Amino acid sequence: MGGESVSRTVTVRLEHGLHLVPCSRLVKLANGLSCDVRIRNGSKLADAKNIFDLMGMAAFGDQLEVIASGADAEVALARIVQLFESNFAE
Amino acid sequence: MSNMLVKRGIAVSPGVAIGRAVLFGAENFKVQRHYTSKAEIDAEIGRFHAALDAVCADIEENQRVATERLGSDLGAIFGAHLLMARSPELVGEIERLIRVETNTPERACDIVLNKYAKLFSDLGSRYHAERAQDIYDLKNRLLRQLLGKRRQELSDLAESVIILAHNLTPSETANLKKEFVLGFATEVGGPTSHTAILAGALELPAVVGVGDFLSEVNNGDIVIIDGDRGEVIVNPVESVIAERREAQKKSDANYAALEVDRTAEPITADGERIQLLGNIEFPTETEHCLERGADGIGLYRTEFLYLGRDVEPTEEDHYQAYCRVIDDLGGRECVIRTLDLGADKVPTSNGMFAEVPNPALGLRSIRLSLQYIEGFKTQLRAILRAAAKAPPGSVKIMFPLISSLYEFRQAKMVVRDVMDDLEEAGVPFQREMPLGMMVEVPSAAILADHFATEVDFFSIGTNDLIQYTLAVDRGDPAVSSLYRTGDPAILRMIRMVVDAAEKSDRKVPVTVCGQMSSDPKFLPLLIGLGIRRISVTPHSIPELKAVIRRLTIPKSKDIATHSEWLGLSRGVDNYLQGELFKICPQVGH
Repeated sequence: MGGESVSRTVTVRLEHGLHLVPCSRLVKLANGLSCDVRIRNGSKLADAKNIFDLMGMAAFGDQLEVIASGADAEVALARIVQLFESNFAE
Repeated sequence: MSNMLVKRGIAVSPGVAIGRAVLFGAENFKVQRHYTSKAEIDAEIGRFHAALDAVCADIEENQRVATERLGSDLGAIFGAHLLMARSPELVGEIERLIRVETNTPERACDIVLNKYAKLFSDLGSRYHAERAQDIYDLKNRLLRQLLGKRRQELSDLAESVIILAHNLTPSETANLKKEFVLGFATEVGGPTSHTAILAGALELPAVVGVGDFLSEVNNGDIVIIDGDRGEVIVNPVESVIAERREAQKKSDANYAALEVDRTAEPITADGERIQLLGNIEFPTETEHCLERGADGIGLYRTEFLYLGRDVEPTEEDHYQAYCRVIDDLGGRECVIRTLDLGADKVPTSNGMFAEVPNPALGLRSIRLSLQYIEGFKTQLRAILRAAAKAPPGSVKIMFPLISSLYEFRQAKMVVRDVMDDLEEAGVPFQREMPLGMMVEVPSAAILADHFATEVDFFSIGTNDLIQYTLAVDRGDPAVSSLYRTGDPAILRMIRMVVDAAEKSDRKVPVTVCGQMSSDPKFLPLLIGLGIRRISVTPHSIPELKAVIRRLTIPKSKDIATHSEWLGLSRGVDNYLQGELFKICPQVGH
């Protein structure tokens, strides 16, 4: 793997926070990426490919840090950020 | 003595349903066999996967049906369930328990899913508690497959009933057959649970979060679910059945016909434009109001932000909810009422609920806000910030339970303080913010002329005004028959407020909110008393509009004068019902 690691800050702008349905959209997207994707909310760190991990985080109107590491991390990061910016539209 | 029982919960889906109760017991799978032999491990793993595949097929079917009937947003809930069921972490952990610990698949599913559910419940927030329900739903599906058991199926119902349950899972709710289910009530649940959201989409009257009551109900008891008032009435007395049945009939039978009037404006036959606004509790209801042609929101109750949670809502919680409503309204009027709850229902900063000897006369509403000023400021800051994006003056703040001028001035001062703070911090906010009050304490109605020199608007809250004027608790079956909306004392109170407002230099506008304005038989009376603005439950808008369009101002004035002259409240009710029938037979039957 490339080993590069990149990160960006995103804001959750959903009425009910990072709810089950948006979580599932994030997991679906992350599962299709070959690199590792992690989401940090303060001290909590969740694997974006693990729905239970994300649900446990329950981010409401929070600033989250998206961290991608591995192959094509830049591209992966851009796609995740875009999902947040589109407010999880499918 | 009747054994009528009235329970209050959270109204999550409007409408009234009356029928026989079916108690839907909590599902309790007993996992008998805990361990398996090493020789059987591969077969047991196979059995687990067969069950998982069957469950996933079920969820996919739920997703398909929900998407088709309710739209892809709601179908997506099941998409998320599917993702949980197929998640490698979950499957891996269950497989490991079977392979390494030689657990039976039943036991393995039980352990792993309980662990996840408990993890979420322990986090303590309402959000997590509701996600735990989603996980229990998945666990029960798996165990049902593995144990070969079928749950008492809601789809087996052959007659229309009311479903009462401790809890309904989202899949059970989505599977409810509308033709056989009249409505439902659950002991637990919050307004944001998937169950509540699905109920709204299915348009089944529903009340959740009722608290313990199933032990007091038997299968076959007559039950009323009032999804407008958030009430569950077990073994209602005849008069209550008749009253609610009337409401029910109106809501179903005439609804379809009246829907046609949707785009018509609420103008009387002789050309007087009546402002018809909606009462809402949840931001999502804004849409229900607008699609029925409401002029805006006349009463936004903000209590849902406080209920069912054990910490105070943050400024952001408030802000998000208000923004949603304001955005949806696109510049239309929005009257936000500040916290209207008793100290016994609101968690304070230390997470405690206060003990209150007499909640109706105790520390509640504006009194509570003025006592816990920080929480009040939090709410006001959020309103002022959210209103920044609305046209000046379109968002208004309304204080509940004002009983003296002093109280109103205090509340107004807090708003000024908050504005100063926001100004200093450079945070954008709305400077032009009309401040008004609920008229629901008799002292406020009596002194309406004094108040009219200081307030920007009045809104008559008939529910509490009746309770305080007649000294009757409507929820107490022993005295509920004394609760009379048409009582002459109430009519006089309303006239006093209207007169005082009209005589004031500022011509203070008066709205009537509360149950009285949503009941079409009182509409001609209210208009006759001089009311030009009413705020009502969203689904009564079409029928009220139909009545308005057939009404004239002189006729309304006659009805009001005659009602006041009639004196006895029973007489008033019958008279108004008769007049309504003459004006608009579709609504008044």
